[in-house]
Amino acid sequence: MLLTVTMSLLEGFGTTLKLFLLTLLFALPLGLIISFGSMSRITPLRWMTRTVVWIIRGSPLLLQILVVFYGPGLLFDLPLLPRFTAALVTFIINYACYFSEIYRGGIQSIPRGQYEAGQVLGMTKRQIFFKVTLLQVIKRIVPPMGNEFITLVKDTALVRVISVYEIIWMGESYIKKGLIWPLFYTAVFYLVFNGLLTILFSWLEKKLDYFK
Amino acid sequence: MPILEVQHIEKHFGATQVLTDISFSLEQGQTISIIGSSGSGKTTLLRCLNFLEKPDGGSISVNGSIIFDASDPKTQLESEIRQKRLHFGLVFQNFNLFPQYTALQNVTLARELLAKERGGETKVQIEEAGRELLAQMGLADRASHYPHQLSGGQQQRVAIARALALHPDILCFDEPTSALDPELTGEVLKVIRSLAEQKTTMIIVTHEMAFARDVADQVIFMDGGVIVEQGEPHQVIDHPREERTKQFLARYAEA
Repeated sequence: MLLTVTMSLLEGFGTTLKLFLLTLLFALPLGLIISFGSMSRITPLRWMTRTVVWIIRGSPLLLQILVVFYGPGLLFDLPLLPRFTAALVTFIINYACYFSEIYRGGIQSIPRGQYEAGQVLGMTKRQIFFKVTLLQVIKRIVPPMGNEFITLVKDTALVRVISVYEIIWMGESYIKKGLIWPLFYTAVFYLVFNGLLTILFSWLEKKLDYFK
Repeated sequence: MPILEVQHIEKHFGATQVLTDISFSLEQGQTISIIGSSGSGKTTLLRCLNFLEKPDGGSISVNGSIIFDASDPKTQLESEIRQKRLHFGLVFQNFNLFPQYTALQNVTLARELLAKERGGETKVQIEEAGRELLAQMGLADRASHYPHQLSGGQQQRVAIARALALHPDILCFDEPTSALDPELTGEVLKVIRSLAEQKTTMIIVTHEMAFARDVADQVIFMDGGVIVEQGEPHQVIDHPREERTKQFLARYAEA
């Protein structure tokens, strides 16, 4: 029985992991673009971006998943997106908005003197970004990013609302058979994976500890 | 011919006039000290010279060629600013060292980037030159330290070496000792003094009156965005002619 449960939970966790990794792959760069938008000197672009970020961060992810999945069909008579794709798209947009605020905080926390020192030393904007500020920004955003990564792992459980069969759904299916322990077992997967993430992030923090 | 000629510089932020009709010139190998109370426009003037602020009026010439003229857009091309900045070096009040680089890397970074663009020196040569500069600053044994491992005085000396590494025609100091504990100002002033002895062309904004008098060939006293008095150090600091200069120096004598 343990083996059967393990196999089916692993299958569910595969979906969880796939969603986690693909979301990061797209949301990390997209977030950077959004953060540039929210810091833009072009006022309409800045306000538009900030409004979108406010809507996405201000409304439940669960609601967003439902809207992305059912919305196109009910509003415009378009074919439904495949379930996993709909979930992935929602997660990418949602997390990109959160990441953009973390990037923005990191970028804006760099003292102006760092840019000016680069300028008077004849560096280009590009050189200042890549050679001077980037690593300082990374150092500052590692701790909040660690938080977001862990939240993302757990948020993936929400996709069951449009019947994407992730790990908790798999565990819950055993309730009908009168078994509660598979549900606890799912927690082990989360705990181990998030434990690994925690180790990874504290390693990164330590790596960047050589400067202040 | 003066190495630097500043003529009729004007600058305002919004409705506030920060610099009014600033004109002075500087000869090769000479040092100018600029004194005056906070808010008198000294720092803004240095920032204008380093193209960190754009003057609203006036012109700046280096070695006889105009590098900025507020009435001539051709002298303000974004693409040429980088090149023009290199005439000047700037040492900041708060050092602004790059925290993720060692003292030596701070000194060599910009020169390496320039060499990569233009060819010329090798990395080894640049590092050698960087080590020499640090030794000149009395920091030979601190080359591989990171800024946070150095005292304020040491950080500022690294910052001076970093500015010197690009061989600017004119080296500017913006209150180089104001952020330092009193017991650390001496080591920085000593380094600047030795630069003056080696005939480095410098403009030094400072609140250290005795230092300004000793090190400079010319002293400029600014107040409210204008040059009130300008001349030989002993004249301006010991025998000021203008009432405002007298008042300012009297406040210093009390303190």
